[in-house]
Amino acid sequence: MLPVPACSDERAGLLGPHGASRRQSRHDSTPSRRRRGTSVTELVAGQMAEGTSCLGDPPAGAGALWETLSALLPHTKEELKLDLSDSIERSVVTLLQQATELFYEGRRDECLQTSEVILDYSWEKLNTGTWRDVDKDWRRVYAFGCLLKAVCLCKAPGDATTLAAALRVCDLGLLMGAAILGDILIKVAAILQTHLSGKRPAQGVAQEQPSTKKARTDHVVIPEVKLERTVPRLHRPSLQYFREHFLVPERPVILEGVADHWPCLRKWSLEYIREIAGCRTVPVEVGSRYTDEEWSQTLMTVNEFISRYIVGESRDIGYLAQHQLFDQVDVENPDLEKFPRFAEAPFLSCILSPGEILFIPVKYWHYVRALDLSFSVSFWWS
Amino acid sequence: MAAEQHGAWFGFGFCGFGQELGSGRGHRHQVHSPEPLRAGVDICHVSASWSYTSFLTRGGRVELSGSASGAAGGCRDAWASEGLLVVLSAQPGPGQGSGAVLQAWAPDSAMRGEPLWAKNVLMQPEREDEPGGEALAGTLPLLPCAHAYVGPRPPFYRPLAPELRARRLELGTEHALLLGAEGQVFSWGGGRHGQLGHGTLVSEREPRLLEALQGLPMAEVAAGGWHSVCVSETGDIYIWGWNESGQLALPTRTLAEDGKIVTGEATGLNESGSEVKRTVGNEDGAPAPFIAVQPFPALLDLPLGSDAVKASCGSRHTAVVTRTGELYTWGWGKYGQLGHKDTTSLDQPCRVEYFVDKQLHVKAVTCGPWNTYVYAVEKGNS
Repeated sequence: MLPVPACSDERAGLLGPHGASRRQSRHDSTPSRRRRGTSVTELVAGQMAEGTSCLGDPPAGAGALWETLSALLPHTKEELKLDLSDSIERSVVTLLQQATELFYEGRRDECLQTSEVILDYSWEKLNTGTWRDVDKDWRRVYAFGCLLKAVCLCKAPGDATTLAAALRVCDLGLLMGAAILGDILIKVAAILQTHLSGKRPAQGVAQEQPSTKKARTDHVVIPEVKLERTVPRLHRPSLQYFREHFLVPERPVILEGVADHWPCLRKWSLEYIREIAGCRTVPVEVGSRYTDEEWSQTLMTVNEFISRYIVGESRDIGYLAQHQLFDQVDVENPDLEKFPRFAEAPFLSCILSPGEILFIPVKYWHYVRALDLSFSVSFWWS
Repeated sequence: MAAEQHGAWFGFGFCGFGQELGSGRGHRHQVHSPEPLRAGVDICHVSASWSYTSFLTRGGRVELSGSASGAAGGCRDAWASEGLLVVLSAQPGPGQGSGAVLQAWAPDSAMRGEPLWAKNVLMQPEREDEPGGEALAGTLPLLPCAHAYVGPRPPFYRPLAPELRARRLELGTEHALLLGAEGQVFSWGGGRHGQLGHGTLVSEREPRLLEALQGLPMAEVAAGGWHSVCVSETGDIYIWGWNESGQLALPTRTLAEDGKIVTGEATGLNESGSEVKRTVGNEDGAPAPFIAVQPFPALLDLPLGSDAVKASCGSRHTAVVTRTGELYTWGWGKYGQLGHKDTTSLDQPCRVEYFVDKQLHVKAVTCGPWNTYVYAVEKGNS
């Protein structure tokens, strides 16, 4: 089943420290400061925030994995529950209770079966109406189903394929679900990822020597930017100056020198991204433009994405999905018959280099074209 | 769906809530091949929701099975949904047949106590003379007067313009289909998956005529979760909407990628050119184009050029009965709802061999979201 990738929205508490000792449940009503750019972004940022987030040497064997996972979960079935509103049908609540009971009774196969039903049903709810209208509780139900399925998959001794499948389930829960039980899916995913990096899946992708295969770089043409239409630049302005001259009057500006302390500027490379997030599943947009007939969204691991679209010979262009809905104008080749006023639309343009930050004011339409292999990070806030 | 001679009902698919779907042997959660429902109950109409099924007997008794239980007499029609059970009962007292009571119940109320909502309704005069009221059964959610229908959520009572002259009305997850007196088809509601058939992905607030079908009088309409089917008076099938599991009998990418596709030539390709997300294939036998969404009606040919007489849709699967008494199913099959003895999803119509093997002539089909109920008589009797 191919789920519909999520549109961007809040992920309360995805960024920031979350050690295993914090077990208080989160209520998602507190708005998050940051919204989702790409899921890989947040994985990386999360790792950064924690410093050395590894759990030490991964213990060998499925038994050890199971012990680590068990330690994350509540000890009793009464604690493993979601507080759900009336919008969740009673039949589903019954099913959730059943699945929990089966889990604590050690009936793995039956628990898997029930979790699958929970996942399939909540998936249908997630695909009903616009993403914005989907009741958050359905997303929590979906996340819960993912949790049970992932943990059950790890219960029996399994090979790297089983672990990868369990991790994929966690990622689906993170992509389309909503935070539950103190962001437990993040923790489970982190554990699985650690165990997976000890055992490489025998797919050939992860075994490539990064140094021998370079990203293909097509001949880069840097377009001309007219001086009078250029976005102004500031080098390390004070917050006050920025606020007074750009934030409040809603003017775009490029901030230079403000991300110098970010380790990612030094650390990020294809190899590094592969190392810390290669086995994670992310949404990918395929196609140069969303208006193309060929454009589609799909899910794949970061390794697969890099192999297929960065290193590989695919004719398609792939982008880690942006989750935005644009209007119909093709900025590079506007249909002026259909959009006659586009020719007069005032605009500013710029070229953004690594380490630079572009401030885009609220409700400002923007169009981006990558001139080179790049990894851009976006933050939305209110 | 009245039966002239006495046949039997069969069921297959999801029964995770213990809803009657067959012999009831063991604690199975899914049935992959048709099984006869327990004998001795004279069922004339079935309406299945996800977690429970309602059976209406010839004697006017509604019986519930699954997450909801209970029974009530004096009923002429019943319509089951997760949030609401709607029952049309004969009005007690003098003036037999002049009026009826429409009641909406919470499914777990077992039809005891007070309904959530009740309304006296008029019956159409010509319908009163039908013996046993069987002709009425299956009209819900359309009311007998045809000037309104029942919704699964408030507002429960939804008026319809009289000029529509509704003959049948079917509700999908986000949309509605209406069959008019002259065989015209109207659709409205959510359209993000092309289920309205107007060639767009936008919603329609009011019933809109399907222009693509003008001049082709339809005999049947059926609404699935996010797809629509209708059968013409001459036995042709038209189908449109979401094809993510092959429920339109068009090639779908998800099945091809999962390796679950049943290979073969794709029949019934749509005639118009506005498909969305279609990959361009080469002339020399490259893989057929995938179709995720079909926003216009497409003509579908059954194998051997059979004529269709009845159609019903589940959440993501489709079932069609032919004039010669065969049953074809396709689409999502994970819970055995296609009846082909397995859990494979199909993007081509496939005959349910059980009925051929048992020499049964299929007369009617009703799909629940994840299961299928079939009425058949022994050959030689039809």
